[in-house]
Amino acid sequence: MSLGNFNLHHPATVAEACALGARFGRQAAYLAGGTELLVDLRSGRKSVAEVISLGSIPGLKGVRAIAGGIEIGATTPLAVIAESPLVIANFPALAEGIATMAGRQVRNLGTIGGNFSCGVPCSDTPPIVCVAGGRVALVAADGSEREVAAEKFVLAPRVTVLQPGEIVTAIRLPNQPAHSGASFQRFSLRRGSALAVASVVAWVRLEKKNIAEARIYMGAVGPVALAATQAAASLVGKPATAEAFAKAGDLAAAEAQPISDLRGSADYRRDIVAVLATRALTAAVQRAEGGDR
Amino acid sequence: MSGQAQLVSFTVNGRAHTLGVAPETTLKQVIREDLGLTGTKCGCDVGDCGACTVLLNGRAVTSCLVLAATCEGAEIVTIEGVAKGGELHPLQKSFIKHGALQCGFCTPGMIISSLELINRNPAPDEADVKAALGGNLCRCGTYPRILKAVTGWQEYEGQALDTKPREDDERDQERDHSVVGHGVTRYDGPDKVTGRTEYTADIRLPDMVHGKILGSTVAHGLIKRIDVSKARAVPGVLAVITGADVPQKEYGVSPARYDERVLALDRVRYVGDEVAAVVAETEDIAEQALKLIEVEYEELPAVFDPREAIKDGAPQIHPGDDRFENNINTRVEWHFGDVDKGFAEADVVVADTFVGNRPYQAPIEPHAAVVRWEHHAGKLTVWSSSMAPHYLRHMLSRMFDIPQGDIRTITPCVGGGFGVKAEATPLELCGVIFAKLTGRPVMMKYSREEMFRHFRGRHKQYIDMKIGMSKDGTITACQSRILLDGGAYTSYGIVTAYYAGSMVPTLYKMDNYKYDGYRMYTNLPASGAMRGHGVPQPRYAFEVLLDKAAEQLGLDPFDVRVKNAMGPDTVTCNGLDISSCEFKATLAQAREATGWDAKRKSLPKGKGIGVGCGGFVSGAGYPIYRSNFPHSNALIRVSEDGLAVSLHIAAAEIGQGCNTILPQIAAEELGIPYERVWMVESDSVLGPTDLGSYSSRVTLMAGNAVRMAAAAIKAQLLKVAAVKLGCDVGNLAARDGFIFVAQHPQVRLDWDEAARDAFSTGGPVTGTGHYSPPPNLGGKYKGAAVGTSPAYSFSTAVCEVTVDLETGYVSVDRFWDFSDAGTVINPVTFHGQVEGGIIMGLGEALLEDTLVRPDGSLLNPDLHGYLIPTIADAPAITSRAVESYEPRGPFGAKEIGEGCLPPILGAIGNAVYHACGVRITELPITPEKILAGLKKQREATS
Repeated sequence: MSLGNFNLHHPATVAEACALGARFGRQAAYLAGGTELLVDLRSGRKSVAEVISLGSIPGLKGVRAIAGGIEIGATTPLAVIAESPLVIANFPALAEGIATMAGRQVRNLGTIGGNFSCGVPCSDTPPIVCVAGGRVALVAADGSEREVAAEKFVLAPRVTVLQPGEIVTAIRLPNQPAHSGASFQRFSLRRGSALAVASVVAWVRLEKKNIAEARIYMGAVGPVALAATQAAASLVGKPATAEAFAKAGDLAAAEAQPISDLRGSADYRRDIVAVLATRALTAAVQRAEGGDR
Repeated sequence: MSGQAQLVSFTVNGRAHTLGVAPETTLKQVIREDLGLTGTKCGCDVGDCGACTVLLNGRAVTSCLVLAATCEGAEIVTIEGVAKGGELHPLQKSFIKHGALQCGFCTPGMIISSLELINRNPAPDEADVKAALGGNLCRCGTYPRILKAVTGWQEYEGQALDTKPREDDERDQERDHSVVGHGVTRYDGPDKVTGRTEYTADIRLPDMVHGKILGSTVAHGLIKRIDVSKARAVPGVLAVITGADVPQKEYGVSPARYDERVLALDRVRYVGDEVAAVVAETEDIAEQALKLIEVEYEELPAVFDPREAIKDGAPQIHPGDDRFENNINTRVEWHFGDVDKGFAEADVVVADTFVGNRPYQAPIEPHAAVVRWEHHAGKLTVWSSSMAPHYLRHMLSRMFDIPQGDIRTITPCVGGGFGVKAEATPLELCGVIFAKLTGRPVMMKYSREEMFRHFRGRHKQYIDMKIGMSKDGTITACQSRILLDGGAYTSYGIVTAYYAGSMVPTLYKMDNYKYDGYRMYTNLPASGAMRGHGVPQPRYAFEVLLDKAAEQLGLDPFDVRVKNAMGPDTVTCNGLDISSCEFKATLAQAREATGWDAKRKSLPKGKGIGVGCGGFVSGAGYPIYRSNFPHSNALIRVSEDGLAVSLHIAAAEIGQGCNTILPQIAAEELGIPYERVWMVESDSVLGPTDLGSYSSRVTLMAGNAVRMAAAAIKAQLLKVAAVKLGCDVGNLAARDGFIFVAQHPQVRLDWDEAARDAFSTGGPVTGTGHYSPPPNLGGKYKGAAVGTSPAYSFSTAVCEVTVDLETGYVSVDRFWDFSDAGTVINPVTFHGQVEGGIIMGLGEALLEDTLVRPDGSLLNPDLHGYLIPTIADAPAITSRAVESYEPRGPFGAKEIGEGCLPPILGAIGNAVYHACGVRITELPITPEKILAGLKKQREATS
């Protein structure tokens, strides 16, 4: 199948990109890495008259340190993020998560902004950014900027808070407190280049061997990246024990809202969530104890 | 209408280009179509396969996911830009020397991805390579060699390339040959690592037009109305055809069951059944026009399960055809010996019901054909990615009433087949109609999704099998009843139904054997021939039951296999003539080398070791249609200066390495170095008929024909030399470019001098050879022909697995294979086939299944929903040849390409059971099924 027929725009600035998006509204799609949009166009899932390429906007690429954290430009390729020393120092679980995604060639094209903006339930970066307490920076057609907490960004499968003419410009991750750590665990049916059956990312902060704070997010087991709030709450104030993790895993499984599809049944996904949550918590605590976030 | 074209400037392989491109044009299209750099391949168009990988500003990307107009100022490197100034990159040399390529279709992408890796990490280890190449699919399963080639690339820096074997690939046993038995590099290596190899979709003919075929949207229905007027009106559309415009006769594979039409006339039988086709100036226009064809169907009840299809009252898929009552396409009812007596004598009887899966061959190259009508003479030229060009020609001749001699079939290199490209398809058939209608050459291609829809993948089998065994492990009887899901048409399915039964008694001796097989029509895409044709699923059932019986009797799995193992010079209960057979030796070596006895006892829970055995025919004993033609034929011509020969043969190189093996056989028999042989690619005008690359027949059959042709030339030259050296012909031998007195090798003549003399006095020096299997193979009962072969391969595979007891995930940690493939002609291609068979078998056992929605459409007709193993999934593999000498094979050789797959499923299933106590009888063995089994186990014990 051909990609269909559309006009292609190469705005040089964010303002131009937003203006084009506002002008064409639902007729238009933004193009970042193309790894989602071109597949959708090719399969006929999507058809648009205008494509607005964000690739030639200079300020949108790259990882930089900002006050209180780091900022990842929306069109930074996933592979670049995974290799970034800033990312590895700030939140290694993000680099680890990206390494499990797709093939290298797709990681070289796909962007974090695209991974968010597409709002696909099994996207891997949103739950990680959520657990890190990350925020999504947006610019609207009128030039106004806003920041949305990562967990508030995706509303439903393939639906986000983005308004016509609004684009993601960056993902911001805060610096992590001392004695905290996170781990991303993902289960897929094959080792190389396969979508997740389920993923869980856990973050903990320790105080004197006890878990002072915990956050758990789950991917591919709900319409959006889901917070396992009860699972996380069950850990607060408790010592980091295998029993506590297993209980949290069971709670997370109950909080998951999986569907059955060709990658696994809903019941199996719940089983996997319990296992992944336990493993993620175990690894996150180790990381927190080691001082390596 | 396209969006407005845009000017874009970039460099490709250092050369600057400024081009006007339509917005929707991908970088891949520009590279292939505008720049003619066809080394960048198209396998899926959606970033799943990695065949189109190029470097974009130093980073490996799938060029199908990049819009060309976004590449302003970019530096792009394609496979054609990797070699510099005629000198191959060390990485390319490493690929050649390690045999890290087979069909070659993934090779350009593999090399580009590897290049990105070594540019950032010059000394990658295996884990680095696995992380970098996980997005490059290789269906030949060449991964173990690719790992070695990439991690070891620096060894070839500054090294000149030669054809000498790498030390570690030297043959397994010493025999006295100078070419045969040595792991010389592949003949097609240099072309495949540079992107020069031409595949069918790479062909560009002047004035070429493009055709596309429309598939049915319903699984079963009557066509009430087709309106093509809107499609015809699209500018650029040259013709639209429907069922009324095609030959009004049926075609297929076996003459007894021709049941397919080029385009459906009144009835469609599966989602995708071809109903109309368009030819247009461009592929895009043809595609747009297809969407404007209006088809109105009267939907009929459909049936998707053979267990339902066989019942009275089920929807009839070929109604009114009395050949196919109750949807039974093929019925096999065999009984050898007396199974009732055998089961009565047994001390233990084990039985189970097994359900197979629907693996698809998924070659990375989609099927393509180019057809040109040669008006002046009423002749046709057809280029096709066909594994069996002879059958293609036969069918085109029959369908269009054109004599075979007026049809020229050319098989460019084939990017993997595994059975799916072994028959004539609507691509070639509609292509002929279009070529005649337009008077222009026509390109026909399947997309990845269309490949899945046309299918011809493995038959899903529903197997009830029972084995009786006496206390000492002797098999007393075996009985099976199998329903095969054939889909809507016959394809190769008659043969499949027979193979599913005939190959069971070849491995183990059994006197009492009963098989009832029913190949059923269903409203699904037709199943066909896939590597190990019909055998892997019954073999899985058998190998699992064998272990089960052994367990009940307290015997070791190896002991029961050895006890019943086939020996040489045996006629099986179903009349198959086993000639050479070192099966017992493969078992003995496997048991020893794997440390089986210790591991069986000592591995902890979650880890397991299992064994499975298998084998296959070395070529079918009879052709698909009745013919007295020799099955393989060869022509060798010596160059005028005597320093080269050309080998003309129409066997199809599909990755298995016949273009390397056959020159080796020719060189050995002629007595010249391998480097002096030119292969003349498969072309029915340039080379005599070969039945094709199916049923694992080429090494033995074409090898024999080549050897005979070479011997004919040698006989001529020895006569010349005898005169010159003044001795008797009988005392002369030829080897390494010399003809010499066998007892006094210093008395010698240059081979080329003898050849020049022969040419000077007698004109062209040529030799021809042919091969037909021994006559009257097999028994006299109905269907006795299927399973006959001049020779059989035997193998034992052992694997170690780790089962994650929490998720059910199976890691295959290690595989060993011990195969009796006769005497190995080339260890590199031999081990490459074994390793690839293991990896494909691993996919079938653990991952692969073509899934169907309730409406009969496919759920996963793509390479992200249908998962095949990646390099990251490939286990460590040890492959060993356990050589026999097969008297009917060239230099003692038999087959390896197919027999290496059937043992794999059982080995994995048995290892999983050993690891965690869960037996999976429904393929594939998914983590979910294992976890369910573990839960059941816990419930049972608590």
